[in-house]
Amino acid sequence: MTRYILGRVLQALGVLWAAFTLTFAILYLLPSDPMELQLAAAGLQADGISPQQLADLKHQYGLDQSIWGQYWTRLSGAVHGDFGMSLTQNLPVRDLIQARIGQTLLLTGCACTVSMVLGLALAYLATFVRWNPLRLFLTRLPALGASFPQFFIALMLIQFLSFKLGLFPAMGNTGWKSLVMPVATISVLTSSVLAQVLIKSFDDTLRQPYIVTARAKGLSRSAVHLKHALRNAALPAMTILGLVIGLSVTSSIIVETIYTRVGIGRLAQEAVLSQDVPVVLAVVTIAAAIFVTVNLIVDLLYPLLDPRIARNRGRVRVPAAQIEVSAA
Amino acid sequence: MSVESQLTHDPDAVLAHLDPPDTDAPVAADAPDAAASKRPPRSGRRARLHTSASQLARKPGFLIAVVWVLFVGISAFWPTLITSRDPYETHPESAMLSPSLGHLFGTDNYGRDLWTRVLYGSPLTIKATLLAILIAIVLGLTLGVVSGFLGGFVDAVLMRGVDVLLAVPGLLLALSIVTALGYGTLPVAIAVGIGIVPGFARTTRSEVLRVKTLPYVEAARAGGASWGRILLRHILPNSWGPVAVLAVLDAGVAIIAIASLSFLGFGAAPPAAEWGTLISDGRSYLITSWWLSLLPSLFVAMIVLSLNHISKTLQELTR
Amino acid sequence: MSMLRRLGRPAPHRKAVAAIALAGLAVLAGCGGSSGGSGGSTDDATPKAGGELKVSFFPDNANFSCIDPFQVYWIEHRTIVRNFADSLTDQDPDTGEIVPWLASKWEISPDGLNYTFTLRDGVTFSNGNKVDAQVVADDVKGWLATVAATNGTAYGASYIQGLTGATVVDPLTVKLTLSQPNASFLQATSTTNLAITDPAEYQLLPADRCTGKGVIGSGQFVLDHYTAKVETVITKRTGYAWASKLVKNQGDAYLEKVTFTYVAEDSVRIGNLTSGAIDVSWPRNPITPQDEKLIEASGQTVEKRALPGVSYTQFANTTEGRPLSDPQVRQALYKAVDLKTYAKTVFGDDYPVVAGPFDSTTPFYSAQASKLAYDPDGAKKLLDAAGWKVGSDGFRAKDGKQLVLDYPVTQFSAGPELLQAQLKVVGINLALRTLTPAQTATYVKDGDYDLTQTYFTRADPGALQFILNPDVANSKALANRSATPAVTEQIKALFKKAIQTTDAAQTKQAYADLQALLIDQGVTFPLFERVQEAGVSKDVHGFAFTSESFLRLNDVWKS
Repeated sequence: MTRYILGRVLQALGVLWAAFTLTFAILYLLPSDPMELQLAAAGLQADGISPQQLADLKHQYGLDQSIWGQYWTRLSGAVHGDFGMSLTQNLPVRDLIQARIGQTLLLTGCACTVSMVLGLALAYLATFVRWNPLRLFLTRLPALGASFPQFFIALMLIQFLSFKLGLFPAMGNTGWKSLVMPVATISVLTSSVLAQVLIKSFDDTLRQPYIVTARAKGLSRSAVHLKHALRNAALPAMTILGLVIGLSVTSSIIVETIYTRVGIGRLAQEAVLSQDVPVVLAVVTIAAAIFVTVNLIVDLLYPLLDPRIARNRGRVRVPAAQIEVSAA
Repeated sequence: MSVESQLTHDPDAVLAHLDPPDTDAPVAADAPDAAASKRPPRSGRRARLHTSASQLARKPGFLIAVVWVLFVGISAFWPTLITSRDPYETHPESAMLSPSLGHLFGTDNYGRDLWTRVLYGSPLTIKATLLAILIAIVLGLTLGVVSGFLGGFVDAVLMRGVDVLLAVPGLLLALSIVTALGYGTLPVAIAVGIGIVPGFARTTRSEVLRVKTLPYVEAARAGGASWGRILLRHILPNSWGPVAVLAVLDAGVAIIAIASLSFLGFGAAPPAAEWGTLISDGRSYLITSWWLSLLPSLFVAMIVLSLNHISKTLQELTR
Repeated sequence: MSMLRRLGRPAPHRKAVAAIALAGLAVLAGCGGSSGGSGGSTDDATPKAGGELKVSFFPDNANFSCIDPFQVYWIEHRTIVRNFADSLTDQDPDTGEIVPWLASKWEISPDGLNYTFTLRDGVTFSNGNKVDAQVVADDVKGWLATVAATNGTAYGASYIQGLTGATVVDPLTVKLTLSQPNASFLQATSTTNLAITDPAEYQLLPADRCTGKGVIGSGQFVLDHYTAKVETVITKRTGYAWASKLVKNQGDAYLEKVTFTYVAEDSVRIGNLTSGAIDVSWPRNPITPQDEKLIEASGQTVEKRALPGVSYTQFANTTEGRPLSDPQVRQALYKAVDLKTYAKTVFGDDYPVVAGPFDSTTPFYSAQASKLAYDPDGAKKLLDAAGWKVGSDGFRAKDGKQLVLDYPVTQFSAGPELLQAQLKVVGINLALRTLTPAQTATYVKDGDYDLTQTYFTRADPGALQFILNPDVANSKALANRSATPAVTEQIKALFKKAIQTTDAAQTKQAYADLQALLIDQGVTFPLFERVQEAGVSKDVHGFAFTSESFLRLNDVWKS
């Protein structure tokens, strides 16, 4: 068991390191010089100052090191939780993140919870209802939810719930009310994805011979549904938890921007655009860490939920299978 | 909307990954099955095709979806067949007209006909989508086939690489790529395509693993056929089905992803406009001129939904 | 020399303010819009204290987040600074006159090199420290040090040209010394960039001060916190008693707290205003005619005032080999752009049409409208004469090369597609290229444009020096490419004539010549008059603009 856990943790760390390196590589392939960004932002172009002054400024921001030097500095800093200084905001990246991550976790946490409940409810209904047209409608509903661009859903919610009806604020982070529309926006997509997976799983379960047996033994439809289908759905639901969380984090980029919320999603978008390399690296690393951690937890819990895997652990390369499940 | 396409939004694609990598694992039998694992053998393909076609003809939803996709496809390559207006000609005196017979989608703030602009947005969006899918198929298929075929160490390394792509939030990855390559349709297509690669790699890989153990492939191997021959003659043709279904589905995902990126302002240079740009441009007038944003959005949603429906129906047929 | 221009519909209780134009060293000319006057003076109701004012700006500066008065150039932040930091002098938005504020009086030596300010007694910073002559002298030292430390990038540098230092005469008298006359300097002392702050801040690094650290002023409000790109909050301070005579409320602010948020979506900003979620919607580019109707339909008002300084102006890349290096093509460009239709389509029926390199509220403004008239046939003739012949695709070409103008598009661009359509009529292909923020930083330096835009907000025409005079320009590259060396010399000479003098008539003449020259030589291509517009809730009273068209909160209260 210990070896299994250790292996999984090492793999997770490897993925994390590679994500960091990949991002660093992309950012350093970017065409422009972060130094020039700084000066331009201050109202001046790099041609306005002497080469010596430019060199001094570069030194000040650590931009005079070689690529490898910078990579090493950033990596070793990141390992110690120090992501350096933001190039555009004159603040340590750590402060920027600390001030925002709570809001993003709250947003994505709520969105995941809501979409789990919605997804399950929809899947349950879609497979329970007997009247065919309604059943078909419920089965296709998730596809509809996934067909509208998220930014469009956000704009519509703002338009109607906020401006027309005045129910919820269209922006900001204050109070539970400000969370409602952002959570709803993310949940439309995530619960659709979830419902699609669960409907499939319910359907498969209900076709199993033992369900037929259970029905034959006189159990009511709803009892069968609750007892067997729901219980069997727990496994696929958990396997895509990582997916749902990853999707929520990605969604937070657009959602936080449109709803003018404070969070790391919006921070990330702004940082990419202004090429604030330390901030982008930090956000990517954190997002990857969340993703990897969730998957790790799912992997470690999986054997407990599915005895078949526990039984065979000694022989089968289950871990590899499971990381795929959760990342799928 | 996400660019990741782990998010095929499709249970089959998601569940496909429940297949363990080692086909001799006992879990394999119990794991929820991949889309195609119940497919009948390939014999009688032609006959099957025929019955499929007649089955499809009896599905009105499917037909509507196909017609819509064809219509948009035509507009993508020959927009002049559908509209004779100039999408760029401004008429300040007739700005912000609401939808009417003369202007199906109304006019924008410069008096341009929005219906024409949406149609002329098709070439950009559709070509970007096709390019993204092409990138995803080529890269994903290669990765998946190599990984599934060779197995072992190569497989482990490649699949961890795919994990890395999944661990970085898709939109951030795409944003970084677009910032690196500059704005425009091509960079957006590349960014979105790379985002979809993992889904294809995984699906292809599980298909290859499945086909590899089919009796006749085993037989061909035993018969001394070369690896290349087995790959080309048996594995690739037989793995193709689910990948094609996934491609149709992912086309929808790619359209939304491209729209999202152009919504954020990374699309083609004005006055050309992808669908996302049109929706984005219209959003400033949401309260006064709802059609500028809403109608292009519905247009996009319809095409995504159609692709989704087509993919679903095809899948049900192959069961 | 100045025109009375009423912008938009006047608010019901406000009387139109006539503009009085006076030329003089200390008295600058200006022009007020319908609401440009000292606000609140005509509001009948009795002001009520208390409440929070919520203001939404467009997004914060993506690359240089800063709230330090001396360094900041972002006009939204200068609005905030105006309300927590006071300056030595104030400027009347209606007349352009410089009036006492922290300095009760001043004297300028005949050679224009020494400015002696007598400070008002009893003024304190929000931390309790006294504002005295030593403080002002230390601030001057701090400004000069900041210019040195930031290699001249600090924006305040453009206000203190020629300033060499300050000496304390007595505890309430301070003498500022210049190395050469600077006709704009007195006006400079009224700006937010030369606001008097607790000089202790200058012990911190410029970058740290940008975050708001150590920034203490003597204003009616106190900077509570600045979270870059998210929000800025200022709160009321008690015991304020040194407002300039331009405001009615001489005591404490009515508002308890003012929150400024940065909202990217125009529609969200407007929707929040009409639904009552915010009190003031303050965009960068003017509000669209559609949104204006919406705001007015909901019972709120739109306040407007032209921003003084350089109008929204385009500058050509006249490097050899570029299409715009040909003076004939540049003249054709003036004729090809229909400024009237542009203003009407992009900003609404009653929007003013730009008529020169400066906005109409700028002192010494001189209209060049006739030279900017729309004349597509004239443009075509000029282009024909220049050898650019119309091809089969409708665009002109010469020696097999199409007449393409590379036109970078940034977040500040307005209506580029309309401009493109207008130029297409005469056969010019305006190629729009959306820039990444990163490219925004470098395209000017790299000369990667044919036509680009910039502006500069300041109630003094000297502002244009910092665009066109390569010696002091913020971007030497832009200055050098915008005109040939010979024309640049002429421009420099006229600026020198206008600024380095104490003779008002000479200043006036030099600026008039300059404005004519800039169009005759095809240096500046004005596109629209910059009007600061703000959607204001009907519950807000006493709304007022400063002479720089910033928001002044002294008289503002909420019902």
